[in-house]
Amino acid sequence: MTPKAPSEIWSAEVNGEPVETLITSNAILLDVLRDQVGTLGVKRGCDLGTCGCCTVMIDGDARLSCLCLAGQVSGRDIVTVEGLSDGAHLAPIQTCFAEHGGSQCGFCTPGFLISAQALLTKNDSPTDEEISIAIEGNLCRCTGYQQIVDSIRAAAEIHRGEVEPAPPASDPHPNPHPEGPDEPSMPPGHAR
Amino acid sequence: MSAGYRQQPNSSRKDGKRVAGKQVFPPPGSGGSRPVMKERDLDYIPKSVGGKEHQPAGSHIHDRIRTGTIVGKSLPLVDSNAKVTGQAWYGDDVRLPNESIGKILRSPHHYAKIKSIDTSKVEALPGVIAVATGADSPSSFGVLPVTKDEHAMAVEKVRHMGDLVACVSAVDEATAIEALGLFEIEWEILEPVFDPKKGLEDSDEPIHWRGKYHLSKTNVQKRVFQEFGDRSLVENPYSSSHGKWTMHGVHHGFTEPHAVVAHWDPNGRLQLYTPQQVPHYTHRALSTVLDVPMHQINVIRTFVGGGFGGKSDPFPHEMCAAILSRKSGRPVRITFDREEVYWINRGRHPSNIEVKMTADEEGRISGFDIDALIDGGGFASFGHVTSYYNGVLATAPYELGSFHYTGARVWTNKPASGAMRGHGAVNTRCAVEVGLDEMAEEMNVDPIDLRLANLLPPHSRTITGFRITSNGMREALERVRDGSDWENKFRKLPLGKGIGIGCGFFISGSGLPIHWDPNRFPHATVHIQVDMDGGVTVHTGAADIGQGSTTAVAQVVSEVLALPIEMIHVRSHESDTSPVDLGSYSSRVTFMNANAAIRAALEIRDKLLNAAWDILGYHPNTLVINDRRIYYKHDPAIGVSYLQALHKAQEDKGALISSGAYRSPPMGGVHKGAAAGLAPAYSFSAYVAEVDVDVELGLIKCTNVWAAHDCGKALNPLAVKGQIIGSCHMGLGQVLSEKMVYGRTGHLQNANLLDYKIPSIHEMPHVEPIIVESSDPEGPFGAKEAGEGPLLPILPAVVNAVYDAIGIRYNDLPLTPDIVYKGIEKKRKKLKLEDATELPNPRYTHGPKSIELQKLLKKRSEEHRKRDIARQTTEDTSAYVNGVLFGFDPNIPLEDQLEGWRMATEPDPEQLAELGLAGKAWLKKEQREMGGEN
Ligand code: FES
Ligand code: FES
Repeated sequence: MTPKAPSEIWSAEVNGEPVETLITSNAILLDVLRDQVGTLGVKRGCDLGTCGCCTVMIDGDARLSCLCLAGQVSGRDIVTVEGLSDGAHLAPIQTCFAEHGGSQCGFCTPGFLISAQALLTKNDSPTDEEISIAIEGNLCRCTGYQQIVDSIRAAAEIHRGEVEPAPPASDPHPNPHPEGPDEPSMPPGHAR
Repeated sequence: MSAGYRQQPNSSRKDGKRVAGKQVFPPPGSGGSRPVMKERDLDYIPKSVGGKEHQPAGSHIHDRIRTGTIVGKSLPLVDSNAKVTGQAWYGDDVRLPNESIGKILRSPHHYAKIKSIDTSKVEALPGVIAVATGADSPSSFGVLPVTKDEHAMAVEKVRHMGDLVACVSAVDEATAIEALGLFEIEWEILEPVFDPKKGLEDSDEPIHWRGKYHLSKTNVQKRVFQEFGDRSLVENPYSSSHGKWTMHGVHHGFTEPHAVVAHWDPNGRLQLYTPQQVPHYTHRALSTVLDVPMHQINVIRTFVGGGFGGKSDPFPHEMCAAILSRKSGRPVRITFDREEVYWINRGRHPSNIEVKMTADEEGRISGFDIDALIDGGGFASFGHVTSYYNGVLATAPYELGSFHYTGARVWTNKPASGAMRGHGAVNTRCAVEVGLDEMAEEMNVDPIDLRLANLLPPHSRTITGFRITSNGMREALERVRDGSDWENKFRKLPLGKGIGIGCGFFISGSGLPIHWDPNRFPHATVHIQVDMDGGVTVHTGAADIGQGSTTAVAQVVSEVLALPIEMIHVRSHESDTSPVDLGSYSSRVTFMNANAAIRAALEIRDKLLNAAWDILGYHPNTLVINDRRIYYKHDPAIGVSYLQALHKAQEDKGALISSGAYRSPPMGGVHKGAAAGLAPAYSFSAYVAEVDVDVELGLIKCTNVWAAHDCGKALNPLAVKGQIIGSCHMGLGQVLSEKMVYGRTGHLQNANLLDYKIPSIHEMPHVEPIIVESSDPEGPFGAKEAGEGPLLPILPAVVNAVYDAIGIRYNDLPLTPDIVYKGIEKKRKKLKLEDATELPNPRYTHGPKSIELQKLLKKRSEEHRKRDIARQTTEDTSAYVNGVLFGFDPNIPLEDQLEGWRMATEPDPEQLAELGLAGKAWLKKEQREMGGEN
């Protein structure tokens, strides 16, 4: 058997939670995140730094986790797509991707969300040019990018506080089948 | 706290209003967003039933079941929240307890016999769990029952580099990879074939052997000949064009690599998780290969990270995972790396296409000759169908005097080609549309007018006998012409800037279900079940591959039952729970499954109305179904809530269950191959593209696209637009940058996303999606497909625009800068110019004849316009077949009216000499004719 690389303890903050796990010293961040930390939202599209599906935020910058040794980023602050929403509350960028068609098959979406969020955290009024540059490393085969750019623009508006987010289709209500107006009213003489 | 989005402090307000960034998931158990019944949305209820929705194409049979709930409104895909939170589970995200990792050993040779495989060293490696080779899976499979030529792993010989040889599962990936190096294999190298032209010749060792159906000893898998119409019209043409095209293979380029998890569960049933477009074919193939009955297999479709046709074959690695799992009793997960994705391929066929067209003095298209030699790679896949599609799907939307097609698909020692978005129609469509442009150029008329004066009307029949129902071609052309300011740009832009037109025509669901007789079983079935809580569960086998089929099905049910879409739950992942379905290919899902879903929902609706009748005493005809409430038409105050009606309806059985099916009407001719390309409806599209060509660098930038697509009725305009723009992206890749590069030794040189150039955001033009609604009489609420058709026109539109910009016709795709530059240099030298910036670009050179003709075309298209409107709105219901434009009576068979009108599927002996490249396949004889083996 080929000798295995030595093991080491890796610790970092992933989505705000401290994580500690045993990795081999040559482990790739993408593998550690998917196989050990369990953040399967980070996708593997190519393993070669060409598709952008594996993008994660490291200390606020969008980075390709498939090109990153885990050891390089130990102790750093890592955010994956799972860390964008706050508990049950989706981030504006997430709702905007859903509402403006920024996600079709959705495989590229986690990468795009991270790239876009990294942009918006630093700059909430990006120009189209700046948006293009922020997502130039992400490939999407389904959407043709146009609706992704629309989504990012819409999210920027929310970030700037200009627009209230449109209510999602799944707006909750505790009592969907109220009594009252829905009570049957019998027409006179028609009751059976 | 780390970076990333965080909720702003004090964002939860007492008044309950939502604050930017604070959106919550619906709490469990909630069923809708509105506490009281919503008013009927008259904007989304058709005029014919008292609403305000404009109906340019007249009324539709589904009008009376429109409730204004959701059809026609833009809405997010129902599974988009799973996708934006990273919770959507794709193939490689399925992690089962005690899983093992599978890896595949691939052939290092293009073509070789396997003399022996020794696996003893592999088995001895600690950590290896199971090993399998071709000996473990002797049965062959294939997506089409007529061409089952694949094996899980090579039996006897490998057919292309990267073909599967053996597989192994181990405790971890590192061990599995190490194990791959320990197989000891003895090979006998065979002489490979790479050039499809060579494939037409006899070889010592054909890649496959089809027994008595084999053509001589060639590598021809399928040959097609079709001739329709009057060949005498082709003689003495007024104008003609001739294009010889080389088109390279392109790959789907979906972002998710193939992955599969197989688990032979403790009860002896196979659970197979796979991102499949067509789980049912995999299901069938697994049953054959593993030799277990289908009901002992549960195929679970994971989320699919893009398919585009590339995940529609049953795949050998799926069999491998199952075999390994059966051997070891442990779950096996196999995930491809990007290179393996290219080895399995199934992308668009590399093609050599020749198109000859002629037109007469009146600008009618008299002749239409296509010869297509397509390179199938190592296996048949969908190739049988592709061979037909290359010809038959290029004929409409035009009315033709004659059509002549020869096609051949050959096996070569390359990864197999298969179905890809726009299956079989893309390459010839490009050649044909560019040919039309050339003729327009020669006749000095406007290419859009030329097209407008030669269109088939709605409710007509094409030259090969396809039944066209709704047809929005004319509107699409007119709208892109107006939107793009065509009249002021075409042939008027400066050098380096150009504008071009292209059209498209595509099937909306294949009329022939591959595995069964459409007269016996329906194309699609959908079950609906409503429980006491009011939630509606829809079971369908439609595979959502990102196009939003789940959303479409949920939408139509929601529309018919007038329930908020959150109350509709679509279950489509498991073959155990979903009815058999042919999955997502040939753009069939919206048309067929939504139709089946409507039927199932109608049954539920009837039961609810009857229950309301019971309670209220008003006949269902006088009841209105609206947002969670059923009421008396003339007094909305009299009514019952949805739940009350439901509970009444459930009194006998406790649950409401229904089932709906869709089957296409009997269609088509009787000639050989008549079924290929038959569809219950067809989509139409027209694009105008604007390009900038850098004449010094040969670099093309597509800047603007006006993309009109006739999708019948946009159930969800947001999704339709997404499909149009996405199709543009993919087509643009093929015309400008994407190709699979096979080197001199036949090796695939760019099996990665760096060298295989998919357009990034910087290459994307601005696309203006224009939705044309022609309301198909048989479509669900009038809808047709929108997923594949929109890809077709972008290629010719760009090629034509490049001609408008620099006056050079290219017949070699993709138009990479080197090819463009070479063309420019050639022309510069020919014209003896100093500098490429002095190149002349094309301008109209009107003469009296062309002005006459232009007028004639305008007049004819104006007449046809009126004709089309009358036919579309069924004012005019007379028969119309291809040929009326040439003066024939549609009610008498054409062959009776005209000597020389021919319909043939085999060449006459005297024709043999003049056949084109692919036509050469007809020079060979089938084995049975030669009295050979078998
Ligand atoms: S997986 Fe990292 S860029 Fe593709
Ligand atoms: S949504 Fe499918 S790749 Fe982007």
